[in-house]
Amino acid sequence: MRILVVEDEVDLLRSIAQALREEGYAVDTAANGEDGLLNAENSDYDAIVLDVMMPKMDGWEMLARLRKSKKTPVLLLTARDQSRDRVRGLDTGADDYVVKPFDLPELFARLRALIRRSAGQTRNVIEVGDVTIDVAGRHVARGGEAVPLTAREYALLEYLALHRGELVTRTTLYEHLFDENDSTMSNLLDVHVSNLRKKLGAEFISTRRGHGYCIE
Amino acid sequence: MNDELPMTNAGKDAGAPSSIHHSSFSFFNSIRWRLQIWYGVILVVLLAGFGATAFQLMRGGTYRRVDDELQRRAGELSQLLRQPFRNRGQEGRPGDRPERPFDRPPENQLPDGPPRGRDFNFDRQGPREFHLPDRQAAFFDEADTNGFYFIIWRRDGSELARSTNAPVDAVDFLPRAPMPRPQNNGDGPPKDWIRLPAQLSPHMHGQFREIEMRMPPGERILVGRSITRQLSDLRKTALMLAGTGAGILLLGLLGGWWLASRAIRPIEDISATAAKISRGDLAQRIDVSETESELGRLASVLNSTFARLDAAFTQQRQFTSDAAHELRTPVSVMLTQTQTTLNRERSAAEYRETVESCQRAAQRMRRLIESLLELARLDAGQQPMKHARFDLAQTARDCVAHIEPLAAARHVKITSELPPLPCTGDSERLAQVITNLLTNAITYNKENGEVRIEGETKDGSVILRVSDTGTGISAEDLPRVFDRFYRVDSSRTSGNTGLGLAISKAIVEAHGGQMEVTSEFNVGTAFTIRLPLS
Repeated sequence: MRILVVEDEVDLLRSIAQALREEGYAVDTAANGEDGLLNAENSDYDAIVLDVMMPKMDGWEMLARLRKSKKTPVLLLTARDQSRDRVRGLDTGADDYVVKPFDLPELFARLRALIRRSAGQTRNVIEVGDVTIDVAGRHVARGGEAVPLTAREYALLEYLALHRGELVTRTTLYEHLFDENDSTMSNLLDVHVSNLRKKLGAEFISTRRGHGYCIE
Repeated sequence: MNDELPMTNAGKDAGAPSSIHHSSFSFFNSIRWRLQIWYGVILVVLLAGFGATAFQLMRGGTYRRVDDELQRRAGELSQLLRQPFRNRGQEGRPGDRPERPFDRPPENQLPDGPPRGRDFNFDRQGPREFHLPDRQAAFFDEADTNGFYFIIWRRDGSELARSTNAPVDAVDFLPRAPMPRPQNNGDGPPKDWIRLPAQLSPHMHGQFREIEMRMPPGERILVGRSITRQLSDLRKTALMLAGTGAGILLLGLLGGWWLASRAIRPIEDISATAAKISRGDLAQRIDVSETESELGRLASVLNSTFARLDAAFTQQRQFTSDAAHELRTPVSVMLTQTQTTLNRERSAAEYRETVESCQRAAQRMRRLIESLLELARLDAGQQPMKHARFDLAQTARDCVAHIEPLAAARHVKITSELPPLPCTGDSERLAQVITNLLTNAITYNKENGEVRIEGETKDGSVILRVSDTGTGISAEDLPRVFDRFYRVDSSRTSGNTGLGLAISKAIVEAHGGQMEVTSEFNVGTAFTIRLPLS
């Protein structure tokens, strides 16, 4: 999952980005609304964490402009907790909001819920055959037994499972699993796929030659 | 009254806010009731006075009419008693008794010697018999129980004549003292002795109105009539007057209540609105549709007071909420940093970075809190200000010297033109203002820009102007630059609290001065301080 964080407070931006990366997300950052809008319009993020009070272009304006072209889920970070501010944010097109100061676990939970909803899922547990994926706890089990996965493997599995039945191209996977600072080589994706097949069964992920991957 | 009491209790039960409104309520504290009571008392006095006077006049009139009738009849009877011989002499026929009203023997008690030209046919007790001639009889309708009656007593008290309808208990009220014997001066009985009968003024005897007359020789005539009908008429009139009075009183009280209610209604509106406002709904205003009355003017005054209160409260609320918002960002930084760092084991460098970041956040909070406290003290007028004479130009030069390194770092040139500027006040506080203006002028300046500080004395004022060649402030932002927490770029990255200009303005105003700003987009901004000349 790839997330854009737009926040003008440098220390806050850095720590949110670090925390999200440690949760297994690919994270891009922007320090003001203009940069944030540029990033958001040029990439398909799974979610955007957006501060409201920013220089150059504030969060509301950036959101309003983004909504002309993108449906990316947006979580507003706001120091303004008055009802009319929250209403304004939600009406402009935000999907959820967190009031500063916030707890990181809550921010993560809200982000997970946003991503899950935008993929059309309602539950935190996805079952594919005898494999269960607990999105909230980031656990994977096969036939009741826990399967240890690396962060990359898990991110790949989660993305494919959330888009179950869809053909997911390699480009899409690159876009959503790796941030702009990742220097990945294309064959790395094949390595993760083959590792997942070893752990969850050869038939678990099917390959469409020249197109991409799919979980049936 | 009975309607009001339970309402009062209900008001008390309804809770604290309404008890402010109702707790002191009693009839004597309610203007409406006081008005009503006064109104009622005045009305009762007026009506009673009017009614009593009208009744008295009417009763007097009735009695007078009756008395006139009685008087006339008594006069007739006394005429008969006084002139017995004229009739007899004219008739000249003995035995023709009915034609003669009196058969009057010579009067022994009359003065010695019969008066000339008169025939005294009286025995010792006066007239022996009495017959009423037809003309006079018509006055005393004996068949009518309400009719007039008469009784004539002889001088010894025995009855001479009595009409049949006279009440049996009719009493002779005249005193029985013997008539004073008039002095005989030789030329007949004195005229007034004959002509002026003693008379008892009309009086009531039960249901009867009577007058009594004493004829000079000693006969007494009582004429009376039953005035039951007149009395019952008077009673009816009295009842009617009382009823009309009560009706008028009732109408008057109702009208008074209506008038009082109308007069009181604006006060009740004002009171209700004030109660709502005291409960915290500061947006309430009194309806001032009747603005021309005294109460309308009061309502207008109150409304403008409420508006000012509302504005002050809104400003205060905005300030508090802004202050809380400003504190939220550094707290968020600290929370996020520490939660992320504590998630797993970190290297010493990572821990150090986190602690440094927390320190920065804490320092920012300290700056903010200090600024807030300073502003709060300035607002409350508690900030201790020195009151000394000093040269503002010297203060400005010191500030320029302090700020020079920052200007050099930004490649901004500071030029100054500072003649002596004698001022009275706190030079440290004003130095804080000047430093703040210089810092802003450098921070928001262009690369290789210029900051100019110049002073002058003019019209009893000391004027200090700090201008820059920066990007300027848009016309939209310009009126708000002195607002608390207002930042032109709506960000917090510059590290300022958004309170600097607000604090500067408050300090200048505490010195009895003013602070103004002018700006031209892409040309520059100029802040002007105007202080009283010392």
